[in-house]
Amino acid sequence: MSKLYFKNGQLAEDIWEHVADDGALNTDMPSIISLQRFKNEADSLADRTAPLGIRIDAGSKQGEDIEEIASRLGELNLIAIDFPTFRNGRGYSTARILREHLDFSGELRAMGEILLDQLIFMHRCGFSSYEIDPAQNPTLDSAHFSAAFASLPDAYQPAGDDNQGILWRRGKK
Amino acid sequence: MYRYDEFDHQMVRARVDQFRGQVARRLSGELSEDAFKPLRLMNGVYLQLHAYMLRVAIPYGTVSSRQMRKLASIARDYDRGYGHFTTRQNIQYNWPALERMPDLLEELAEVEMHAIQTSGNCIRNVTADQYAGAIADEIEDPRIISEIIRQWSTFHPEFSFLPRKFKIAVTGHANDRAAIRFHDIGIVVRKNAAGDVGYEVHVGGGLGRTPFIAKKIADFVPAQKLLAYLEAIMRVYNRLGRRDNAYKARIKILVHEIGAEEMKARVEAEFARIDGKGNYDLPTGELERIRAYFRAPEFLKLPQESETLTRALAQDASFAAWFKNNVVAHKIPGYAIVNISLKPIGGIPGDASDAQMDAIADIAQAHSFDEIRVTHEQNLVLPHVTLDDLPTVYTALKAADLATPNIGKISDQIACPGLDYCNLANARSIPVAQDISNRFAELQRQNDIGELRIKISGCINACGHHHVGHIGILGVDKKGTEFYQITLGGSPDEHAAIGDITGPAFTADKIVDAVENIVDTYLDLRQGDERFIDTYRRLGMSPFKERLYQDV
Repeated sequence: MSKLYFKNGQLAEDIWEHVADDGALNTDMPSIISLQRFKNEADSLADRTAPLGIRIDAGSKQGEDIEEIASRLGELNLIAIDFPTFRNGRGYSTARILREHLDFSGELRAMGEILLDQLIFMHRCGFSSYEIDPAQNPTLDSAHFSAAFASLPDAYQPAGDDNQGILWRRGKK
Repeated sequence: MYRYDEFDHQMVRARVDQFRGQVARRLSGELSEDAFKPLRLMNGVYLQLHAYMLRVAIPYGTVSSRQMRKLASIARDYDRGYGHFTTRQNIQYNWPALERMPDLLEELAEVEMHAIQTSGNCIRNVTADQYAGAIADEIEDPRIISEIIRQWSTFHPEFSFLPRKFKIAVTGHANDRAAIRFHDIGIVVRKNAAGDVGYEVHVGGGLGRTPFIAKKIADFVPAQKLLAYLEAIMRVYNRLGRRDNAYKARIKILVHEIGAEEMKARVEAEFARIDGKGNYDLPTGELERIRAYFRAPEFLKLPQESETLTRALAQDASFAAWFKNNVVAHKIPGYAIVNISLKPIGGIPGDASDAQMDAIADIAQAHSFDEIRVTHEQNLVLPHVTLDDLPTVYTALKAADLATPNIGKISDQIACPGLDYCNLANARSIPVAQDISNRFAELQRQNDIGELRIKISGCINACGHHHVGHIGILGVDKKGTEFYQITLGGSPDEHAAIGDITGPAFTADKIVDAVENIVDTYLDLRQGDERFIDTYRRLGMSPFKERLYQDV
């Protein structure tokens, strides 16, 4: 079974293709490459016209640092953050830095091992789409998805979404 | 005390409903134990040696009488008639059945309590000085900012899957009773020259297998900026903290590896970015709203001295002994702070029965403005009792077996649950604490020894805080036999110190003799009314070590 792809809370068709570091990069297909390849092939990628995305490895001891390519974010239509295990939450910070400090406005995709109960947190950190491996999440469908988003009715704190959090809202009443 | 508004209620109820569904899926077999684990941990449910254990959060250790009665009824209805107060100012129940956990949590929610974030790699329950709002010379009640931190950290979307668990402690007083220098983040409330409240921030303290004293990285963060500053620390940690080795994942290791200066620089750079967006200041209105919940109760205008108290002290020697050891001066004339020892001679440190919890609730309602505190040393506190009421309070406590006069004495020990309950433990802790307590049972002897804090952990994870005991005891397993290693000179307070290991460990049948040997050495060497810790600081390890191992 191929991967599941959710956008705006709905199962959607994924137009993006993951390309390995040694794979041929299609010049007219939306393609996701590694951060390393994006850095290595900076010159040839500068002329690319088809949509381009990169994949960030959360890492275990250390993670890949998105800030290394802060000046080149304009070349990217998509950034996918890979969660090697649901316990590795480094990607939540990467997402907020991208959205709030580096003003990345393209598609921000979560992939890898994702728990249903984490979707609302990811959404709040600025993720806009979810690529889910059905082998790791065999029971997932759109209904589960909307239930997961509804599992927390509100928020205490501001983050990367529109909800400013009750701590801030109460004080302004 | 803080009271939930409709919003707080809604958040907690949503979580209970969600967990009810998850438990049903587990019980039906739809969820395996593996898949259920992260879900139950988010709700404070652990799997211990014999059964599921539930840890209930008591934010900054403050409980009302109503809440204490609920904790009592839960002990009665869901457990075996008791609860266990922990070093994190929480309460644990050792025997509730999984299928009844959702009902239990629903009952807690009725009294504005929950088990959210009492486990897992998230920001845990915030702890604070148990004498908050009652002790003289306090800069500000630490519970105000603790409550704000509680709310900010609850269901934090970015910091719920950290490299490791994360603990924050706050003190509003120069005398640190909250061990803030042994927390991931330790906060000291400060006032600047203009009289504005702000916070001194320490980072990277901790116990466990590699103990560290936290490093100060900020002298004064203004009140409105603190959450942005904490957010910056958390983000630096979440990005750089190690995830390849659970033993190296705490922030203390990061701070140690990159150094306090580098940590400070990184935090300040991140803070500048967050602060620069201009919308991260906590609104003054919200700060004031929460501050108002912690306004002082309506204290009576009372004389400094109480005739009732003076008479009782003269007439009743056991009351006088309790008063001397368990009662502390209050900031308001005519009031006192009462410590309730949960360390009866030969008992289990921190345990309280349902009847005892009910009794404490009644006493607090009648004599302490409805308030009770839990201390990190596993005792309870009635923060505001009039001097006139002390004899009555004593009589009521005594009737509930809660008047052991040993606060700060050798039998007032911290002990983790150890091998009797915990599946991480290498050795038993509780029986060692009980044996020491029995050996030094005589009050005259305890008073003669004076302040001496023994802390016992059943494994290197150090839940019993042995590193910061004046005498610390660590249980280790050597080829299936329990051994106990001793450390001396640890201290959790503003004179933070990590204890030094004496030498080879002792077997279970020798450990109490070893402690007695150390105490006798101290009694021989002390000058005047010098405390054990002061004698140790003056003389160091060698005289203690020499006598401890002379027969070996």
